[in-house]
Amino acid sequence: MKKVYTFIICLLFATGAVVFCAFPRSTYSQIEKRDLAALPEFSFEKLFDGSYTREISSWFSDTEPFREELMAFSMYINEKKGMAVQGEENITFHAGNAAAEDDNRTIDDYENNVTADENAKLADSGTIIVGSGPNVRALMIYGGSSNGGGCFAEMVNKYKRTFGSRVNVYCMAIPIATDFYLPDKAKGRSHSSLPTIRNIYAHLDPDVKAVNVYTTLANHAKENIFLRTDHHWAPLGAYYAARQFAEVAKVPFKPLADYEKRVVHRFVGSMYGYSKDRAVKNAPEDFVFYVPKNVQYTTTYINYDLNEQLRVVSESKPYQGQFFTKIKDGSGNAYLTFMGSDFKLTKVTTGTHNGRRLLIIKDSFGNALPGNMFYSFEEIHVVDFRYFTKNMTAYVNGNRITDILFAFNIFNCNASGACNRVVKYLTQRDGTYSAPTPSRSAQPASTNPADALLPTDDQMPDIAPAIDSRQPEQTDPTRPTPQQSALPQDPQESAEPVITAE
Amino acid sequence: MVFSDLFFIYVFIPAFALCYLLGGLIDKHILGDAGSKSLAARNTMLVVFSLIFYAWGEPTYVFLMLGSVLVNYLCGMAIHRSTARRKGALAVGVGLNLIILGTFKYLGFFARQLIGLGMEVEAPEIALPIGISFYTFQSISYLVDVYRKDSPVQRTFKGLLLYISMFPQLIAGPIVRYGTVADEINARHVSRDDIAEGVYRFLIGLGKKVIIANQFSEIADQFLVTDFANLTASGAWVGILAFTMQIYFDFSGYSDMAIGIGRCLGFHFNENFNHPYCCDSISDFWRRWHMSLGSFFRDYVYIPLGGNRRHQPLNIFVVWFLTGMWHGASWNFIIWGLYFGFIVMTEKYTLLRVKDRIPGVLLHVYSLVLVVLGWGIFYFEDFGQMTRFFTVLFGGGELHDFVTESALASNFWLWVVAVLFCMPLRRQAAQGIARLFGEGTPTEQAIVMTARLVYSVAALVLSTALLVGATNNAFLYTRF
Repeated sequence: MKKVYTFIICLLFATGAVVFCAFPRSTYSQIEKRDLAALPEFSFEKLFDGSYTREISSWFSDTEPFREELMAFSMYINEKKGMAVQGEENITFHAGNAAAEDDNRTIDDYENNVTADENAKLADSGTIIVGSGPNVRALMIYGGSSNGGGCFAEMVNKYKRTFGSRVNVYCMAIPIATDFYLPDKAKGRSHSSLPTIRNIYAHLDPDVKAVNVYTTLANHAKENIFLRTDHHWAPLGAYYAARQFAEVAKVPFKPLADYEKRVVHRFVGSMYGYSKDRAVKNAPEDFVFYVPKNVQYTTTYINYDLNEQLRVVSESKPYQGQFFTKIKDGSGNAYLTFMGSDFKLTKVTTGTHNGRRLLIIKDSFGNALPGNMFYSFEEIHVVDFRYFTKNMTAYVNGNRITDILFAFNIFNCNASGACNRVVKYLTQRDGTYSAPTPSRSAQPASTNPADALLPTDDQMPDIAPAIDSRQPEQTDPTRPTPQQSALPQDPQESAEPVITAE
Repeated sequence: MVFSDLFFIYVFIPAFALCYLLGGLIDKHILGDAGSKSLAARNTMLVVFSLIFYAWGEPTYVFLMLGSVLVNYLCGMAIHRSTARRKGALAVGVGLNLIILGTFKYLGFFARQLIGLGMEVEAPEIALPIGISFYTFQSISYLVDVYRKDSPVQRTFKGLLLYISMFPQLIAGPIVRYGTVADEINARHVSRDDIAEGVYRFLIGLGKKVIIANQFSEIADQFLVTDFANLTASGAWVGILAFTMQIYFDFSGYSDMAIGIGRCLGFHFNENFNHPYCCDSISDFWRRWHMSLGSFFRDYVYIPLGGNRRHQPLNIFVVWFLTGMWHGASWNFIIWGLYFGFIVMTEKYTLLRVKDRIPGVLLHVYSLVLVVLGWGIFYFEDFGQMTRFFTVLFGGGELHDFVTESALASNFWLWVVAVLFCMPLRRQAAQGIARLFGEGTPTEQAIVMTARLVYSVAALVLSTALLVGATNNAFLYTRF
């Protein structure tokens, strides 16, 4: 009997050893949406300080054969070790505050009437899981304060002062789902974006136009304006935000009836990878987006090639492509529908003729905006705040831009490195392919787990990690290097202090 | 390298097993003959792999360990050979071990105390070599045992190196006394039973560490690694209870794995834990917790100082001071040691005299509360944090929020399993089965081995899955 026992267990060890040593190793994690560790390079220096062997060990356990299956199994165990807690499903619907939307600088408080009584629990990376079952929602924790966002306001002001009365400059600070769906019992765990947004708008020059999308979104909080399983907003939320912007900018805007509704089914977004909570995976959602009908438009892209530090090293010739990328049902990359990625400069020429030409300087939240503006502007230029190689002043003048919209989510509104970079675009020379070397690259690791998801888009795997040649729906020829697909960390941004709860 | 590392389980162990078996063949067919059984090749393999194991984590400090073994080897020989100077040789040997430990573990701490007193010294930044607390204590036990003639001297450097560096117990104990394994270094026999028992024991330890301790470490960190702004009283209790579970399953898991691997090689290490959380007094707790450390201090410090014959309170104070200090160069560990010393002393004159008349449940609750509060002292090396933690723990902040419920509810079965495994379930189940089916009968054997097989397969598969992508995984006691 003992012989049998020893034989079976040794056989199991041997099988494990053969599988883990001889089978092809995993290189990419779908669940975490990142490339896995690479085999470290040998050097005697690394051997003697112990980092070589340490990296070998972590490489070995990071690139296990069958990693995805084992990881899924591990999450299954983690789910089963708990008791199923049923949230109370008594959602009450109240009409939102009918705020005066003409004054975009005064923002009313919002009271959560949608998920106030839901259950909440903490998950990995300081995420909060709200409710249960098919309506479960994963939220990020925001740690910013009423002192945050000054840099963002300064950046917008700087653009306004540069272009003066020739160009309208708009400032849209975009809140996150946590602002609208945080249950009462978890209130102490995350700050609201509102104090930061108020601070930003208070610091704007009088001739900059604020776009208060906080109230707009609050008024539609019972609709699907935010994705439940992704850190981005939903296209519907972006549509309402675009409508608010159009009102402020006094440009035409069409109702949803003029759009064709399209759906990517069974979408599970980035929050699954962050929270590692299977409840999120088990609650896929429809990614619903709206494609304008009855309007002609052509989209021209310039693609950027990036190096390991996420700097632009070269760019493609302009070429025409689709604005809306087809994404397969079940893909975790549905948010890439808009323009396919962040690593590009986009110009859309529409059939609208009103002399208005818009430049959007945005993070990935902003990707969902331009598709709603084809009826409103005759040209729309889309610049990601992280990547731009030309001289911005010349670009705005040369393209006879009439309106500049800044659309950042609240995390990036706090990232002064990001703001400084965008200001630098105004004066950098055409064809700037590598920004200055970072002077302060080391940032002490935060010990507070709540900081894990803070504070900048640069530290969030945004939509960048989703780009991968193994995913056939990608039409994007830009293939980032492995490091880009991991957490995009810009040395300059990461040197910024982490926002902490105070 | 740590035991709960996929690289260790699926590369190091298989490679070592193959080489060790190869060594066995060399011993049998080349080195040995019918009359004398050789272990030379196997011991060489064991030493080589132990050095690789240590160098994997400490590529430079491995030479410190080799140097330490050499010193101890020479001192051991001197004690053995000389009659006049054997006391001197012992003093030199023990002194050198303490100097090594003092330099690499406590120098920075001492310097900081002097700076605190206003002296102008420079605090050196010396990284703690893994396992130094364990191997210096083993070296001391070797020298003293040879001096006392409790154990024979180890005549070869390789033999002593094998004893000190043997990878199963090298970096986190148990503190194996030289006498325990002295004979087995050069003459040991491994039966099929040994291997089956050893493998089973290793997998029990692996399960304790990976399935239980690692999960509790996440819960504990969630509450205890914090700026205390969000910590509630209920959260503080859950956090420190989670740490209570973590440290037991982590450390006893490591000991199980060490004992298991040792058994597979033919070594019989002493037990290090005996269900400490089932204790009925703090004195009882310390007879069940980290037994190899307690007995070391008893035999090499307490009794030589005079034990209970001369100035016993002083002896007790010294022992507990050192017990605390052994755990780390920080005042909180010393306070933690003295805290238990004080309780043990008090119990001696109060509780232990009336223990028979108090209900077991009360004794148990009393002990556990004191143990858990002790872990609160143990956890926080920073006094400011410790003070704030205890303030919150006793209601000096918010009392409760959803995070506590979520930590309990979403880990419900983990808590249940952990509480059950704190009790001597395996022993009771085995006894029950033996009573039902008769001890040693084929039915009993079949049931026991089937149960073990099911557990072992499950533990290995679960642990492997949980270790994929795991990052924060080091054993707590490798720090000490």
